[in-house]
Amino acid sequence: MKQTGIATKIILLACGIALLLMVVGCVLMVQFEIELLNNLTDKKVEEKENFYLYRLYQEKKVLNEQLTDQVNNLITLMKSVDVIYDQTFEFQIHSLLMHPMVVAAEFCDEKGYSFLAAWKSKTVQTAQRFPKTLSLKKYKMINKQTGIPSIQHIRLFFTIEKIQQQLQILKEKDINELHETRNNIYNKLNILFLTQSIGSLFVVALLGATLIFSLRWLILKPIHDLMQIAKQLKKLDLSVDITPKMASHELNSLAQALGQLLEGFRKIIADVKENANMLSGSADNMTDIAEQLTNQSEEAESKANIVAEASVQISANIHTIATSVEQISDNMEAVSSTSDYLFNNINSVANAIEELSSSLNHVGERAQNGTEIADQAVLLAAKAGKTVNTLRHAADEIGGVSEFIQRIAHKTNILSLNATIEAASAGSAGRGFSVVASAIQEFAEQSSRAAKDITDRIASVQKGTYEIENVFKDISAIIKEMNESSDSISFAVIEQTKAVQEIASNALEADERARNINVSIEELSRTVNDAADNTAQVAMGANDVSTRIQGVSESISFNRQISHQINETAIVLNHLSGNLKCMVDPFKVSQQSKIKQQQ
Amino acid sequence: MRNINNITSEKKKIPESKRQFCSFQMAGHYFGVDILDVKEIIDEVVLTKIHHAPPEMLGFVNIRGHVHLVLDLRLLLNFSTKSIDEASRVLLFHPNVGESFGVMVDQIGHMIEVEERLIEYRVSEENISGIARDFRKSELEKGVCKLKDKLLIILDATKFLHAVDLKR
Repeated sequence: MKQTGIATKIILLACGIALLLMVVGCVLMVQFEIELLNNLTDKKVEEKENFYLYRLYQEKKVLNEQLTDQVNNLITLMKSVDVIYDQTFEFQIHSLLMHPMVVAAEFCDEKGYSFLAAWKSKTVQTAQRFPKTLSLKKYKMINKQTGIPSIQHIRLFFTIEKIQQQLQILKEKDINELHETRNNIYNKLNILFLTQSIGSLFVVALLGATLIFSLRWLILKPIHDLMQIAKQLKKLDLSVDITPKMASHELNSLAQALGQLLEGFRKIIADVKENANMLSGSADNMTDIAEQLTNQSEEAESKANIVAEASVQISANIHTIATSVEQISDNMEAVSSTSDYLFNNINSVANAIEELSSSLNHVGERAQNGTEIADQAVLLAAKAGKTVNTLRHAADEIGGVSEFIQRIAHKTNILSLNATIEAASAGSAGRGFSVVASAIQEFAEQSSRAAKDITDRIASVQKGTYEIENVFKDISAIIKEMNESSDSISFAVIEQTKAVQEIASNALEADERARNINVSIEELSRTVNDAADNTAQVAMGANDVSTRIQGVSESISFNRQISHQINETAIVLNHLSGNLKCMVDPFKVSQQSKIKQQQ
Repeated sequence: MRNINNITSEKKKIPESKRQFCSFQMAGHYFGVDILDVKEIIDEVVLTKIHHAPPEMLGFVNIRGHVHLVLDLRLLLNFSTKSIDEASRVLLFHPNVGESFGVMVDQIGHMIEVEERLIEYRVSEENISGIARDFRKSELEKGVCKLKDKLLIILDATKFLHAVDLKR
């Protein structure tokens, strides 16, 4: 693409310009033709219009003559008749209006006043004169003097509108035809333009193709060969041979000159390359030696550093040990005082617990007493309940007895009544018995009343005993509950007592232990103080060692720096020689080396 | 027969100027019958019902082998009926009053002895001409006895059986 690029571009540009010019020429030509056609058409239209104006004038003239003839005919007719009736006038005026162009007619007397008029509105209408609403100014008029005494003037109004309209239609038709023909010509011109442009395009394309082909064959091929060689040179390959195959034109002489230049270059670069290789080898050796020296000195420095750090760390560690030992000593003192306080507290707790134990014993005894009393109360309540029960039974029995007494009283009452009846039937002889009977009756009533009294009282006694029984039951239940709760209290107290005794014994033991702890803590405190003193001394010695080792490390470090500088210099040298080699290396001097590289 | 007996019994009592009544209570009212008409008072009553009998006849009762008819005096006196209870008693009448019958009363009272002058009898002839609306009741009622604190209505035992017939 790149090779054909320039030629194609030039050709395409030339072809484009030619095409543009052709198209512009075409357009201008067509424009000129169209203008010509338009002028022609306008002229024709003008001619037509003139022709029609002339025709209109002719037509008008003919009509005028025609109508005048008609009126003259009418006048001769009238003159030939002796007597003229009104009907005759009317008939005549109607006959005048029969002509399609006539709009209105009027007959006037000698003074010029009309006595009969007719006009066309939708139909023909007649009157003595025209109404005022009818305006006849726009119409043409023929005024004729007859010389007949009854009719002096005849006025006739007629129109030429219809003729005008017909002529107009004809004219428009002609003009339209003209325009149509013009449009047809336009279309034909367009087609012509299209075919012209396509043809020119085809010609231009043919021209362009031949141009491209010849350019490629004659100029681009040698240039392409030269470019191949230049590409190899670009890769710094100096081993190319340039032999002038093409003998004919200017490009060949350019190729020969290029070949001579290459030969010179090739020799110089080969020399430089050899020298650079040697320099590079010696610089490499030097760099290796310097690196070894640096490595060794670095190792020595790192080791010395490690020793120094270790000594510093040891010193720091010993120092921290010393401080922590001091802290321990302080803490031990605090612990000792705390343990003293603890010991005192435990002592007082033990005392309090002993007191609690003794008071709990007392409570237990009381609870036991309460339980016993409650047991007795339960027994007594049960006994009382039984007694009340027997009382209730006795009352029931008494109730039965009193009922029996009452029944006896009733019977006695009946008996006494019957006795009274018997006594009454016996008359005066039974009078004495009657008294006795009434006395018996009275006794019976009294005994009945007494029995009733007893029954009531016994009932109230029964009610009372029933209530007492219920109350005793409640009391007994309450006492039972009391008994149970006091039982549980006494059990709990016993348990508590046991627990408290255990606590007391534990507290005593704790007391003893606390005392022991106190003593040992004091001893420990003393020992720790000694240790603190010793560690401080050790720390000081360690510090001294550390500072000395640091001095050694510093001197080693100085050595390392010097060796490092040497190493750096060697590296710079090596780098320079490498650079030179790199610069020279890409130049390929011989075909052999090229083959080697390819391999 | 009955009339003659009644006359003789009244004639006997007049010179004595004192009369005895067996009193009883019925629906809060005090009633009395002549003690000479009463034969006996019975307290334990075992009634045997008579079917198809009028409701005034409570039934038969067996007293020492003799069967007596028992009437409900409450119904005869136009009170509402009442069940038998502990205080209920049966008055048995003499055979000269009617053939072996008695009446049920609510409660028995005392035997009362009153002077003849305290009793006011009703005249039957006057009653007939008057309003005969409550005919039977007026027939059973013989008179009124004035006691110290209350009035005792005296009933005619001889009319009881007749009253049952009239109710039919």
